[in-house]
Amino acid sequence: MIYAVAILAPLAGALVSGLSGRVIGDRAAQAVSIFVMVLAAVCGSIAFFSLANSDMEPAFVSLGSWVDVGTFHADWDLRYDTLSAAMVAMVTFVSTLIHIYSVGYMGHDKYPKYRFFAYLNLFTFAMLMLVTADNLLQLFFGWEGVGLASYLLIGYWYDRPAACAAAIKAFLVNRIADVFFAVGIALTFVKFGTIEFNSIFAAVPQHVADTYAIFGGSYPALEVIAFLLFIGAMGKSAQIGLHVWLPDAMEGPTPVSALIHAATMVTAGVFLMARMSPVMEFAPTALAFVTFIGATTALFAATVGCVQNDIKRVIAYSTCSQLGYMFAAAGVGAYQVSMYHLITHAFFKALLFLGAGSVIHAMSDEQDMRRMGGLAKYAPWTCALMWIGNLALAGIPPLAGSWSKDAIISATYAAGSGVGTYAFFCTVAAAFLTAFYSWRLLFMTFHGRSNADPHALEHAHESPFVMVGPLLVLAVGAIFAGWLLNNWFIGEGSAEFWRGSIYNLPGKDILARLEQVPTLVEYLPLGMAIAGIALAYLFYIANPRLPVRLADSYAGIYRFLLNKWYFDELYNAILVRPAMRLAAFLWHTGDARLIDGMPNGLAALAAGSSRETVKLQTGSIAVYAFTMLIGVVALVSVFLVFR
Amino acid sequence: MEVGITHYLVVSAILLVLGVFGIFLNRKNVIVILMSIELILLAVNLNFVAFSAALNDLAGQIMAMFVLTVAAAEAAIGLAIVVVYFRNRGSIQVEDVTLMKG
Amino acid sequence: MNWTTAIPEIFLSVAGLAILVFGVLRGRYSGPGNALVCSMLVLASFAVAAILIIGGNHGIGYNGQFTTDAFSSYAKLLILAGAALGLVLSLDYNRLEGLARFEFPVLVLLSTVGMMVMVSASSMMTLYLGLELQSLSLYVLAAFARDTLRSSEAGLKFFVLGALASGLLLYGISLVYGFSGTMDFNVLARSFADPAGVAPGLIVGVVFIVAGLAFKISAVPFHMWTPDVYEGAPTPVTGFFSTAPKVAAICLIVRLMGTPFGHLLASWQQLIVLVSIASMVLGSLAAIGQTNIKRLMAYSSIGHMGYALIGLAVGTAEGVRGVLIYMVTYVFMNAGTFACLIAMRRRGIALDKISDLSGLGRTDPMLAGWMTVFMFSMAGIPPMSGFFGKLYVFLAAVQAGMWTLAVIGVLTSVIGAYYYLRIIKVMYFDEGGEAFDRRPMSLSVVAAAAGLFTLFFFVFPAPFVGAAQAAARVLFG
Repeated sequence: MIYAVAILAPLAGALVSGLSGRVIGDRAAQAVSIFVMVLAAVCGSIAFFSLANSDMEPAFVSLGSWVDVGTFHADWDLRYDTLSAAMVAMVTFVSTLIHIYSVGYMGHDKYPKYRFFAYLNLFTFAMLMLVTADNLLQLFFGWEGVGLASYLLIGYWYDRPAACAAAIKAFLVNRIADVFFAVGIALTFVKFGTIEFNSIFAAVPQHVADTYAIFGGSYPALEVIAFLLFIGAMGKSAQIGLHVWLPDAMEGPTPVSALIHAATMVTAGVFLMARMSPVMEFAPTALAFVTFIGATTALFAATVGCVQNDIKRVIAYSTCSQLGYMFAAAGVGAYQVSMYHLITHAFFKALLFLGAGSVIHAMSDEQDMRRMGGLAKYAPWTCALMWIGNLALAGIPPLAGSWSKDAIISATYAAGSGVGTYAFFCTVAAAFLTAFYSWRLLFMTFHGRSNADPHALEHAHESPFVMVGPLLVLAVGAIFAGWLLNNWFIGEGSAEFWRGSIYNLPGKDILARLEQVPTLVEYLPLGMAIAGIALAYLFYIANPRLPVRLADSYAGIYRFLLNKWYFDELYNAILVRPAMRLAAFLWHTGDARLIDGMPNGLAALAAGSSRETVKLQTGSIAVYAFTMLIGVVALVSVFLVFR
Repeated sequence: MEVGITHYLVVSAILLVLGVFGIFLNRKNVIVILMSIELILLAVNLNFVAFSAALNDLAGQIMAMFVLTVAAAEAAIGLAIVVVYFRNRGSIQVEDVTLMKG
Repeated sequence: MNWTTAIPEIFLSVAGLAILVFGVLRGRYSGPGNALVCSMLVLASFAVAAILIIGGNHGIGYNGQFTTDAFSSYAKLLILAGAALGLVLSLDYNRLEGLARFEFPVLVLLSTVGMMVMVSASSMMTLYLGLELQSLSLYVLAAFARDTLRSSEAGLKFFVLGALASGLLLYGISLVYGFSGTMDFNVLARSFADPAGVAPGLIVGVVFIVAGLAFKISAVPFHMWTPDVYEGAPTPVTGFFSTAPKVAAICLIVRLMGTPFGHLLASWQQLIVLVSIASMVLGSLAAIGQTNIKRLMAYSSIGHMGYALIGLAVGTAEGVRGVLIYMVTYVFMNAGTFACLIAMRRRGIALDKISDLSGLGRTDPMLAGWMTVFMFSMAGIPPMSGFFGKLYVFLAAVQAGMWTLAVIGVLTSVIGAYYYLRIIKVMYFDEGGEAFDRRPMSLSVVAAAAGLFTLFFFVFPAPFVGAAQAAARVLFG
């Protein structure tokens, strides 16, 4: 019951503030949406802790039947197991803080704010539907719901062309991935005859040997399904190839970036892997692919992050990279570890984004780090909190990131497979780069000589408490979450904590092997992080001319990184431009001549017959009565003839 | 010649056809249409009573009573509407009732 | 004798008489306040009747004249919903047009009682009495704006043609009675158990009955009154005409075809198929050239009845389930559309041209938004409720192998989509006139309620589908 309140309260908030925001005013709409979020967060936390501290079996909260067509059956059910409850607690908690923060951040916005809060509420509801879904269709509903909310929020400032373009890009890239996801769901239904998780999971062992014959080849059914689901996850979680929308999504307001594009929505793909673990575990090839993509993304995004100058884009690529970590862990079977990192990451990445928002707010909407510097004395709180966030991100013990990130690196090592080793090297290298770009960000923004526009600096100020407050709470999470959750998520108590909501193939117990990795491996990430920090210090404090010289002498590599490995240009050349040409052709020839020609003809025909039919309608009672009589006579004859 | 059920049916069918034709062949007056409607209902009543007698079943006669009652109400409402119409239009010519068409 | 089966109808009749007396005693010239109080009382009685229906027991009463079952309860609740929506729509319109007289709600109530009796009828006698109670009230409602020529002409046309249709229906009943010896539906059903031995006179009777009822649902070729009456009658009355009475009439046809004439399926199926196709085609074609939006809605409702009849033509439980779901979606989207149409007023003058809607997307985005929802739904575009209504009837047709019917249905709904989408185009892309008058609260409420239902039907279709399934099983086991 309390669980259902946690999930439905944001929906109520979205409806109230969205539909009546114009009537009740901005302040009331904000109050409503924050109230429902606090309510949801309290209920969500209670639900989570009462589940974690009891030995309750996974349960369901049924909200009613949805679709019931033939053998296809889907209900509105809320799944109440550890995996869902943990996500619910995290999502409602972070979302609440971001709602509160937004009051300050959006304070000077020129648009009516109820729309923003209604969208945020709507997003939270959709995300909660996603994580509590008990069948694939409901999950897909939430999946599309968060996509919609993300689209609306990226394009929130609808009079900025860049924001609109970014919104469309995010929408399109996600649709491409969603097609695969939808096909995956359809194939699941075809194979298992159901889309309910429990029934699917129970039936998995019977279908291990099944195959699909597609394109002349024969592929194991579970592998195909796992692949399709993962491609869906790649889009939502911005993995390499389908990551192009995430950096652009930073055109949205910063609280949106923090909530949707860091803490919650983009982790939906990771959650999907954990939720579908009973299927994924039987698809080793797909899992190897997951690890490969994840590890590659982790390294790729970190390299790009090192040369970006927009403060939000650096953090966006950092998010991309951290999501890669999570997938790498999921791919080697350590779903618990990836969930662990997901939760800790939510705290410190939300902290970083909101901190960046605070900086942007302080600098009157300046986002370029080259025009910052020395801000520590203007915004001491923000600076301190950003330090905490970055320490956590870089994995300096005992902050949250060190626990979960080290666990991921250990897991890739412990997996012992070829792709695992690849992932190990990638993630270690990425750890170094992570520390480097994090401190690059800190140094360029808060320390050293100020390059800021003196005019902007005049107005630079610490953010109001309504913004700093949520940051403080998140900082506490970023410091302690790793230590607090370690035992539950991956430690001794993990088996009892997860209670079967995540499935590991018997004999693969990767969690147990985490303990047995060599000491060197355990301390390697820390060493890399310190080295990264040291390099950043050298480049941006000790000798600020060095990076410029380096960029000049290795101009090729620098440009390659600065242009994000030319992904956007590649897609433009091979997809967008041919599509435009095709569209132009279809428009001029196909549409204007053929398609328009045909309906225009048909329309003329329809309009002509319309005029003829209406001619009977003379308005005369006699004609009407006569028509009725003719009708009766005709029907009697038909009846007698066809009897 | 004995008068049987068939004769009643034929008479009633003739009445029905007269009534229906009265509605759409009549070009003059709306009152005539009201009378035609009464004619149709009479034809029906004749049918019911004839069948009732032939079948030795009372239901038909009860139905005829109901039809008579309803016909009275219908005539009242019909005349009221005609009066309202006349007040607005100043005429009850059938061919004038063609303001709305198409 | 089990008299309890008719408790909701008895309650409503008594309440109607009481409200009538109440209205008279308060003085018929005490102004719009009196009408408002009476309307509220009628709405309250509808609510009580709905509770009585939900809580009432099923069974046959009055010596087999009156049946209450899952089917009739479903239909009655839908009728009450449609009538209540229609009445709410009329509240402010009547006040603004100077039509606020207390007889209006009473007439709506009496016609609703008639409809409820119709769907519960299990004998020709009950059927006729319910039908006439409904029709006589509706004639008066059509002519309710007694000082305008259009309304009185609408009343006159409706009355004359309606009386003719009743005459045909009655003649059919008399033939069926004469050739089978009974008016009781269940006895009739038994006497048709052997279709081979059915007298031609009986067949003619059945056709006459179908013709009389087809008039009530305005199916082609008995539709001729519809556009004129829709245009002439006061707009809330038109909205009412297009919802509750249609539900009652189509449910009555379904019951007739299911219970007494169930064994004649092979014979009447052709008939319904023809009527259905003709309605779909005419409904979609004739609407294209219209400039008056009420006329357009008339042709639209003719088309919708054609789609609903597909479900009956299939003659299976699935088909009837489709009809019942279709009617639910139809009632709500239609009531919502009429809420938007009634809101079309400038400087106190009610408007009914399609071109009057131009520029609405700018001047009143909320209203334009709801209208868009309803038009999408009417056109059958997912995920609006109208799509599901069509989906279920087409599905039944395909399952029964009646491909032609389904294909014609899809084709005509494509043509139909043209004029629905044209309204959206007018609202958003045509150079607009000035804003409408501030719309009364009652219209916003109806539009929002119907709009949310239409928009979110796909989230919770199961209760409706389940109830429709149970209702359909009663007739087509």
